[in-house]
Parts: sequence; structure tokens; C-alpha cells
Amino acid sequence: MLRFVLRRLLITIPTILVVITLTWGLIRLAPGNFYSGEKPIPKAIENNIREKYGLNKPWYVQYGKMMGHVLLLDFGTSLKYEGQSVNGIIARSLPVSAAIGLSAYLLALLVGITLGSFAALKQNSKLDYASMALAMVGISVPNFVLGPILVLIFSLTLYWLPPARWYGFPSRGMVLPVLTLSGIYMAYIARLTRAGMLEVLRSDYIRTARSKGLSERQVVMRHALRGGLMPVVSFTGPALAFLLTGTVVVERLFTLPGLGNYFIQASLNRDEPLIIGIVSFIAITLLLMNLVVDIAYAYLDPRIRY
Amino acid sequence: MASLYYRQLLAGLVLVSLALGSISCRAMATNPAFFGSTTPPATNILRYINGDEPESLDPAVSSGQPEARIYMALYQGLVEYDPKTLAAIPALAESWDINDDSSEFVFHLRYTARWSNGDPINAQDFLYSIRRSLSPEIASKNAYLAYTIRYSQAFNEGAVFVRDSATNQYLLEKDFAEEGTVQTEPLSQKPINPDSPEIKPTEKGTAPAPDTPFHQFMHSPPRLTLPGSEKARAKLLSGNPKLQAAVAGKEFVKIKAEDIGVEAVDDHTVRISLSQPAPYFSGLAAHQLFRLVPRKIIEKYGDSWTDPANIVTCGPFKVKAWKHYDELIVERDPVYWDAANVGLDEIHFMVSSDNPTAMNLYKVGEVDAVNNHVVPNGWLDVVRPKKDYMDGAEAAIVYILMNVTKPPLNDIRVRRAFNMAIDKINYAKSRRITKALSAFTPEGIFVGYPQPKGDGFDPEQARKLMGEAGFPITKKGDGSYECKSFPVAQVDFSFNTQSSNKTMAEFMQAQWKQNLGITVQLKSMEFKTFMSVRSKLEYKGFAIGIWGADYMDPFTFLNLFSTPGGDNGSGWWDKKYVDLLEEANRSLDKQKRYELMAKAEKYLLDAQPVIPIETSSVNFVKKPYVKGLYPNAQSVYAWKFVYIERDPAKWDYGPPSLSD
Repeated sequence: MLRFVLRRLLITIPTILVVITLTWGLIRLAPGNFYSGEKPIPKAIENNIREKYGLNKPWYVQYGKMMGHVLLLDFGTSLKYEGQSVNGIIARSLPVSAAIGLSAYLLALLVGITLGSFAALKQNSKLDYASMALAMVGISVPNFVLGPILVLIFSLTLYWLPPARWYGFPSRGMVLPVLTLSGIYMAYIARLTRAGMLEVLRSDYIRTARSKGLSERQVVMRHALRGGLMPVVSFTGPALAFLLTGTVVVERLFTLPGLGNYFIQASLNRDEPLIIGIVSFIAITLLLMNLVVDIAYAYLDPRIRY
Repeated sequence: MASLYYRQLLAGLVLVSLALGSISCRAMATNPAFFGSTTPPATNILRYINGDEPESLDPAVSSGQPEARIYMALYQGLVEYDPKTLAAIPALAESWDINDDSSEFVFHLRYTARWSNGDPINAQDFLYSIRRSLSPEIASKNAYLAYTIRYSQAFNEGAVFVRDSATNQYLLEKDFAEEGTVQTEPLSQKPINPDSPEIKPTEKGTAPAPDTPFHQFMHSPPRLTLPGSEKARAKLLSGNPKLQAAVAGKEFVKIKAEDIGVEAVDDHTVRISLSQPAPYFSGLAAHQLFRLVPRKIIEKYGDSWTDPANIVTCGPFKVKAWKHYDELIVERDPVYWDAANVGLDEIHFMVSSDNPTAMNLYKVGEVDAVNNHVVPNGWLDVVRPKKDYMDGAEAAIVYILMNVTKPPLNDIRVRRAFNMAIDKINYAKSRRITKALSAFTPEGIFVGYPQPKGDGFDPEQARKLMGEAGFPITKKGDGSYECKSFPVAQVDFSFNTQSSNKTMAEFMQAQWKQNLGITVQLKSMEFKTFMSVRSKLEYKGFAIGIWGADYMDPFTFLNLFSTPGGDNGSGWWDKKYVDLLEEANRSLDKQKRYELMAKAEKYLLDAQPVIPIETSSVNFVKKPYVKGLYPNAQSVYAWKFVYIERDPAKWDYGPPSLSD
């Protein structure tokens, strides 16, 4: 097991370097620059800017400098936000994204698994149909539609909750973003749980468990759920990584100072150090989450050995 | 069975939505005259949606409007923008004098101005700030705005003077100027006449500044400047044998910050010498590029001087807290020279890049005012009749550039035809918040400016012109037109991806199709891509253009076409046009200057490298209790005049007037 983890961690390093190199190359290929704005800039001023930020140097020098930053895990200073370090930006925006993301994740798991399990246990019942209909709605309605609908109801007509902005953790302001964000995950998890559970409930070892006289509760909680959650686990690992590292649409919709908002802004601004920093961070998180999923498999399914 | 449950579910949903609907009606009805809540905040705090996250708190660096608004709270320059007209009003300078041809300005600084750490502000602070703004190392995007200051362009571009080491004399510009281009010199370049003071003292009795060696330097004929980089210099010299011979064996002297035309005559007098007459300079001096930054703090902290922990400012407000991507909180600075007249205790500059979100926050009363252009088109029906909707012309125009370097638009008849084939008035009606434009300066902004008129909507004439240009247009049986010979593959309409641009492009496409029978393909590009394509003239046919004034003078628009590259974007350039503009700026009389400028504008319109479309509108909302915030032409506000009014009788019911 330890060897497996170490091996996976080692593979992670070249993967991330490739991701960063590709990102760096794509930023170069994209037309425009971080300094080009609404008004075109005179040539001489453009030259001053290029000189200031070392853009007049050969590409390998720039690449080397960038990689040096990455290897030291210090991503340098943002080009757009003068004097702000990329590490600082990530450090202050991550907690916001994580607070929203983690809350949405937990909510999605709780509601999704509960709904899914009950739907599976009472297959073809009213509850099953109702929850699966709800899940279908959740999957079909994208968050950029769900968000404004929630805002329209709870902020603009009922005046219960603020329509946007970050008010700290925990706060009333989190309710709508978390609901918006968790909607689709909730729906997926419910459907995955239901499917997984249905399959497991028909399997031999459940019949064995029942026949040896275990209570229904024990059968479900101890045996069925563990097997039934396998598809959920492989779905929620990467999902958690994306939720934690910021969700562009929801953060923009609710004007949250999270990582996702910075990510999209950095891409639009061609803010190279910030893009590289956030991409590296997301890549690392994603790879780590996949590793966690693999470890969780081993725990959930005794047949899996690494 | 199942269908029954679905029916019940459906019924439930209908009931819930009905209930919500009735609630919504009730909530909306509480404030019929205004959009949403009108409860003033408990304290004198303005919560303002300012647009994107500010790039930096360093006024020399950023060029955006959100930053400009923040700098107006945190920093002051020699002068400030008038809250209504945006003309120069006293700030750090109590008064100023201008010489006869607007080529030299003397500012008299007040004695009571202080930095937020209590240090007094003097003329040296201004010198440091403007030299810093113009230095190549700071690489300010706005630096070009100060290029009228003597030698500042050369300094910003890293250029050199040429000195003869033997005689210690510098080569002069006039000795190498091309034949016929030598203009009459502005007064600031003529030798000083000791008998007649060149600047008459104002009625306040401030004596003209004494003559100094630096002043003599400014009043001597301009020195020759050459590019600083050897490569660029060699290229220039190789094309000019006369210059090459004169330069041989001479010494190149890098132009220093101390060479640019700003001088501290004494601790409280600043004299600025320009390289050309610029009557608009005093208004321009309110721009952020000219605002003061603290030398001691910058030298102590370097790049992190703008950290809220380190920053020292000089405006009516100072930084209290900066929650990135959320809000910047500024508070009243008690040591500001006019602190007693500052109306607000705090301003919260909030970030929002999403217009509907900003409107939502405004409606529920989480914010008191929003930045310009925030009301989405689809909301206008509801918001526009409200008394807190702010309408007003903006010093910004939308136009279509034509690439005159490529056929078929290199033919002026074709360009004119495409202009005449657009019903701009109808377009403005469909946009609802803008005014149709036929000239290249915004309409209704510059009082007294005799704005010329370009060609109006005339499809008949347009078709005739196309025929003359060799693209005959025929009428088909169903009444529509077609133009078989027009090379549609050689033109398209490029614009940056944005729904308003797309709407506009589609309208123009339909107009051309309807009136000329020509279908121009639309080409949507990501913003930065588009800007790059346009400035390099890589587009074919048409490209959208938007320009906002840098300062309140028609020249800020007309100047776009005074250089062939860069801002121009059309490839059209004409020496005669540049001469007309120069002549106008030399004129001492304001009205005469305006007339000459209008002549230049007419000349531009006749050459038709652009199709003017519309004058923008400010299009925002502010709560009626926010007073002193006017829908001015640039949407920048002198914050010290803004206050919260708690008496509904004194509220603004409708946009406050800009004229009284």
C-alpha cells in the first residue's frame, strides 16, 4: 500500500510539469497580452512594459524562469494585480472556494446518498419516482439557471437572503451559492447511489446477510451501502477537487472572492504567473484526490489490493 | 398510479409558483417610484459597485475606469475634476496661470496639504510623482497623456540627446527637420523677454515665477532627440545621411527625469513647460497619471508600498481595508486639507463583474450606487421609468473602423456608401439608451463646439456611389437589392465577443443587406485577440471601435487619427489633417480653436475612414439619497462632494442636472 502511494506520488510530478508546460505554451499561443486593454498602447510604451516584465527575453529564458518559480512552489507576482504575489492570492481565495465547495459537497453527499438509498430500497415507489424526478431536474438545470432562480425567489422577492457577495464563514450569504453549487452533484450522487444500491441489493452476499438474520438496518448500513457507494466514490473524488478549487460559474454569479473567479479573470487577463499558479494548484489537488479515491476503493472493496 | 403522483406534484408546483408570484407583486409595490429599497444606510457610508477588481492602488500604473474612481478618493493632483462638468477645479493647487498660447502652466500649491501620515506636501512631491509616472521603468500605460510636457515623450521612450563634447553644445531639432515641417514655435520655446512677463499674474496677486536656469533651458530651441536603443538609432540614421554625418563623433546623452519640463520654482510653485500649445492641459492634469504618490514610502517599501499596511495617500480618503475581489474600504482622512467638507465617512468600493448581480444587490439595498453601463438591456423596461435611473451622454463613442489599406474599402466611394446605407437613428432607437452619431466627437458633450455633420442615412445615394465605384447594384423582382460584383469574400465585420457588439454587428449586417444587397460576414473574436488584430490592421473590411475621452476636449477623439499606427486602426493618415489640428491647438481664442478643430473633424469625416455610430450613455442607477454624485460624461466622481441625504424632500427625483 505504501509503495503504491509513493509510486503514485512520483508519477504526479512529471504529470504536473507537463500540464504546466502545456499551459505556458497555450498562454503564449493565445493572441493579446496582459497589458492590452480597451485602448491600444503606443509602441514605445508597449516596449517599456515588455522590458519591465522581461518579455523581450528569449522564450527559453522566460520558460526557465517560470519553471524555476514552479519548482520552488513560489509562483511569483501577478502581472495584472501589481505587487500581489500569486501564492498570496491563492492563499486568500482558497478558503472561500473551499468553504463553499466543502459545504456543497457535504450537502450533496448527505442529501444525495439519503435520497438515493431510499429510492433504491423502495424501488418503484412514490418516493423513488419523486426523488428520481427531482434528480433529473437537478441534472438538467445548469447552475447558471438554478442560481438566478434561487436569487429571484429568496432575495429579490422574499428578501430573505443576500443575492451575492461573501459575508464570511458561516453566514446567511453562503446559503444560495451552496444550494446552487450542490444541486447538480446532489442529483448525480442520488442517481449513482440508487443504481449502485440496486445492483448490490440483488447480490448474493446481501441475501446471505439477510438469511443469517441481520436486521434490515444492519444489512443496509453495513453491507449494502458500502458496496453501493463504489460508483459514488469514483465520482466524488474528482468532484471534490473541482469543488474545493473554485467553481467559476457560481463564484462569478455570486461575486465570491474565490479561486475560480481569479482563475477566469487571470485567463482573460493573460496573467501568466497567476494562471500557472492556479493551474498547478488545481492539478495537484486533482491528482491527490484521485489518489484518495483509489485508497478509498481499497477500504470499501476488500477484493481490491494494491 | 404513477401518473397520479405526477399530477399531484404538478399541482403543488403550480400552487407554489402562484404563491411566490403574489409575494413578488407585494414586494415590488412598496417602492413604486424607485427600483427596490430606498432605506438610507444608518451611517454615512457609500456602498458603491465599482466594476472589476482594481489592478493596483498605484495611480501611475492602471488605466481602467474602476481604478480611476478609486484614485480620485485616495489621491489628489494639482487639480480635480469638477463633479458635473469635469473641468479643472482647485485641488492641491489653489490657483494656476496660463501663458498666452497655452504652452506654459504655473500652478500655485496650497500650504495646508498633507499626506495621510501628516507630512506636508510640496512642489517636490509633484515633481517626483510625474517623473516617476513617466519613467520607462514604471512603464505606465497612460504615459502618453503627458507627452505634451517638454521632453517627456523622449524620456519615456528612453531617447538620447546628442552633444558635441568639444563645444558642449547640443544638436538642435530645427537643424534637421524636414523641409516645410517647421512650425512656428510655441512661446515656451522662444527666448525669454525680460521686459514683458509671459504669464500675467492672476487677480489673487501671485507674482510670476522668477526666471531660472531650468526655465532658460526650457525656453531654448528644442534639442534633437534620437532613439535610445542602438538598433533603432542605426536604422534611423542609415535613412538620413545628413543626420548621420552630423551625429558622427558626437556623444549620446541619455535623457534624464530632470530634463522633462516640470520645475519647482519654489516649494509651492510648479511650472510646467509644454512642447506644444495645449489649452486642454489644465483639465488633463486631473488625470490619475498626474496624481501625487509618496516618495518616502515608495523608496522604503518598493513594489509593496500599496499594501494597506504601508500605503500613504493624499486624497480626501485613505485606505482602511482591502478585501480582495470583494471590496476596498476607504475612510475619511482627517488630515486632508478640506476634510471638513468631505461628506462621507467611508466608501466601500465593491467588485462585481456581473451586471445582473450588481443590479440584484442594488435592488435589495445592499449597495447604494453602481458604476456606469450596469443596467442590462433587458432590464431597461423596468428600470428606466424609475426615478433613480441615471441617463446622460457619455464622452465615449462607438464607431466602425474600415481598413482603408485593402480593397474594396480603399475606395472612398465604397466607404461612403457603406456609411450612408446605415439608418443610425433607427439603430439608436433600438438600443434605447444611446444617441445616433454622424461625427467623430460625441454629441452634446463639448459646449460651444461647432460639431460638423457627416453624411446621413441615404440608401439611394449609397447605391449610386457603389455603382460609380464599379459595383453596380440591381433591384430584383421582389424589391430587394443585389450586388453581384462586390467581392464579399474580401470583407467581414470583426468585433470582440460581447452581446451588445453582436447585436450591433447584426443590425449593420441587416442594413447593408437590405440597402446595398451585400451580405458582410460577421467575425466574433475574444477581446485581446481582437485588439491585436485591429491595431495591426490584420482585419479585412470592418472592425468595431469604441473610444472614451481621456480628457474633456474634442482633441482626445480627433487625436486618434493624428498618427498612422497604434490607436488609429484604419490605416488612414493625412498630413493635412494633422496640420489642421496643430493649427487649432495653437489658437489662443477658445472659439477659434474649436472652429479650426471642427474643420479638421469635417476633413476626417469627408475622408471617411470610420463610420460613426452612436454616443454612449452612462446608464446606471443610484439611490435617491446619494447626493452629489452626478451622471457626468466620464463617470468619475470627486468623492468629497458626495453625501447621504436622509430627508426625502431633498432627495434626487430623477438624474440631477449637470448645468446648474
